[in-house]
Amino acid sequence: MATLPAFLRWMEATRPEASVKQAQPRAMRDPYRLRALPQDNVFFYCKKIDNSRLVREPDPQAKSACWSAIGVASLAVAILAGVLVPGAASTISGYRLESLRAEERRLVDERRSLDLQEAELLSPERLDKLAHNQNLVTPKSNQVFHLDGGQSDTAAVAMVKK
Amino acid sequence: MVERRLIVLVVALALWSAAVIEKLASLQLVHHEEYARKARAHQEVVRPIPASRGTIYDRNGQPLAMSLPTQSVTVNPTKLPDLGVAAELLEQVLHMRGSGLYDKLKQACDKGRGYFIVKRQITPEEAENVRALPVDWIDVENTSQRHYPKKIAAHVLGGVDFAEKGNAGIEKGLEELLHGEAGQEMLLTDVKRRGIASWQSTEPKPGTALTLTIDERLQFVAERELAAQVVAKGATSGSAVVMNPSTGDILVLASYPTFDPNEPPQSDDDPARENHATGIAFEPGSVFKVITLSAALETTKLTPASLIDCGNGILNLPGGRVVHEAEAHGGYGILSMADVLKHSSNIGAIRIGTVVGKQNMYDYVRRFGFSQYTGIPIPGESHGSLRPLIRWSANSLASISMGAEVSVTTLQLAQAISVVANGGLLVKPRLVLKRGGQTVPLQPPVRVIQPETAFTMRKLMEAVVMPGGTGYPEARLEGYSAAGKTGTAQIFDTTAKRYTHNYNGSFAGMTPLTNPSIVVVVTLNGTHGDLGYGGRAAAPVFHAIASEALRIMEVPRDLPDDAPKTLVAAQKTPRDDEVALAALGEGPNILQDAVDDARSAPRPNEVAVLGPTVPNFKGMTMRDVLAEAASRGLTVLPDGSGTARIQDPPPGSILRQGERIRVRFAR
Repeated sequence: MATLPAFLRWMEATRPEASVKQAQPRAMRDPYRLRALPQDNVFFYCKKIDNSRLVREPDPQAKSACWSAIGVASLAVAILAGVLVPGAASTISGYRLESLRAEERRLVDERRSLDLQEAELLSPERLDKLAHNQNLVTPKSNQVFHLDGGQSDTAAVAMVKK
Repeated sequence: MVERRLIVLVVALALWSAAVIEKLASLQLVHHEEYARKARAHQEVVRPIPASRGTIYDRNGQPLAMSLPTQSVTVNPTKLPDLGVAAELLEQVLHMRGSGLYDKLKQACDKGRGYFIVKRQITPEEAENVRALPVDWIDVENTSQRHYPKKIAAHVLGGVDFAEKGNAGIEKGLEELLHGEAGQEMLLTDVKRRGIASWQSTEPKPGTALTLTIDERLQFVAERELAAQVVAKGATSGSAVVMNPSTGDILVLASYPTFDPNEPPQSDDDPARENHATGIAFEPGSVFKVITLSAALETTKLTPASLIDCGNGILNLPGGRVVHEAEAHGGYGILSMADVLKHSSNIGAIRIGTVVGKQNMYDYVRRFGFSQYTGIPIPGESHGSLRPLIRWSANSLASISMGAEVSVTTLQLAQAISVVANGGLLVKPRLVLKRGGQTVPLQPPVRVIQPETAFTMRKLMEAVVMPGGTGYPEARLEGYSAAGKTGTAQIFDTTAKRYTHNYNGSFAGMTPLTNPSIVVVVTLNGTHGDLGYGGRAAAPVFHAIASEALRIMEVPRDLPDDAPKTLVAAQKTPRDDEVALAALGEGPNILQDAVDDARSAPRPNEVAVLGPTVPNFKGMTMRDVLAEAASRGLTVLPDGSGTARIQDPPPGSILRQGERIRVRFAR
């Protein structure tokens, strides 16, 4: 294997002007240039190998071993998954459950708050004020007719028809 | 060389494995509990499960008191790094500028208190701001706050203290039922304190919901009318109770002055927090004559028609004491027992009480429930006062006969009047209708007087609200028959040791008379002048409350009344069945109505709503009159003999529902 300086020098040697530069006096050479190692050309020699005619010989045992390995790995994965997934699922479900419980508590509190608001809105005092603002008055007893099919609803029915 | 290295490596691995195994064994076996406990301390959080205080509903399911979760900010003053900085920070975050928080914190710190509530019932925004502070000495606690959305029935409900523990009213009386016990749950959390799993370690026990017999609509009307009348009459206080005489259900328990139960008490002796309906007894005055006459009807041969000598308003009692009646009621000569009640004659009541006797009077006062607790679950109930028989003076019987020398509460009066209203049974007042959905059973009633006596007393009390009675016209109801009794008791000045001219004006009544649906008792304390008498001061409140109650409870009318003009215009000729119905209706007191009917008879241009035309009976014999009336479904009250001379109402007038025709015959 060639060293980096040999490789760089080889690159420069392939250039046309390289010969011209080599003709320059020694004193003009780059002082920072690395020196070549001994036997650079030997280490840098690349042998070309042609494997195009090489064909792999079928090996039934290897194939079987491969499938066995795949099966064992799958089984291991399945077992591992069988062991770990429930725990993970349980944890995820726990998160979800706690989240839902918190949501439930929040909704219960909100419902109670709304119940309170409704009760305040339906307080007799407030309704009384609203009625007064709209000039509504409490009906007298003789203005109330119970439409229960009795005799006294005749006048009320007549009033409605009118 | 290689083998030696392998041996060294194996030994090293073996030692390392042994060390690991030893450590594992130490962690998992030897110190398992310790590390498990430490892990739990980091991962598990003990979280309280709130158990809200029981909600209180009225009889229609409207919430009168309910609790809502809220949050409070607390600190440990002894662990505050700098009191000044802490106070300033908290004042800014909690919007408490100028609240003197520094002084309070310093005081708490000086006393060594480890717990100080900075602010209660903070808003969600304030809670968020506090949690965002990068300090660990502030804590936000989940608490609960009691709300009273209707702001009525304050004396019934009472209130709670800062720890939501009842301090008055039914909140205190039924504290054990209402208060909830918070539970606990263990929460497994992750590193971000998010919950992973939880399980209850202590189950919460929410407070029991209560449904009261109170009707919020009636309660509101009663409080409104009571307050208006107390102010109008210049009284100091007042109370009103509406009770179902059959079941004992208390529909209204109002007291004035009142307060907002949402506000904490300003002082321990706040007069507005005194429950005048159950907690303060007073001399009932003439209302008590109902008891005197009931005892007389039960234990003596006196009847409503028995004549009582009222001594023209002057009665000499043993010991030289003289009762003058002229000032209050006018001097009466001889009155029937019915008129004694109607005119509220004190001397007549004393005479009747004398006939009843001490022992019987004492027994009946007790049997009517006086001088005993009613058992209502409101703390501070007064049982009133009635001297033991052996401590009665020579004049005690006379005093008690007219409602003096005995003190009662408004609720006790309602209970006693219910005896008359329901046919003679003493029914214990019931304030709690349901406890957690289960109806509270009625207590078995106790027979106090015979049904006949109760019926007679109702008729006698009806005269009180008729013309000439002390409750007329204030207690008269449109469309409904009513009965009642006024009471005006002079207030005894304990300092001056004499009776003043301030009164306890009361009215105890029931309606409708045939089958009373409600008993209403109203008392105004500290009235004065003629307008402070029970008939003038308390009866109008009875009128307002009873009218509203009958309308809300949809009680059918049992008396005719004037119809609105719109209906008069729509009215056509009455049908025959309407006529029959009018005849079947329970009529008012006939003799008294004669005057009243004349006053309220329809004018020529007026048209009554329902009822047949009155035929002309003049000149007809009694047999013919009765036959004619029967054919038309009318009820005639004949008087005298011979041929019909005078009739009332006059011929051609429209007979109102329940009205009867009075015909006088002469030869």
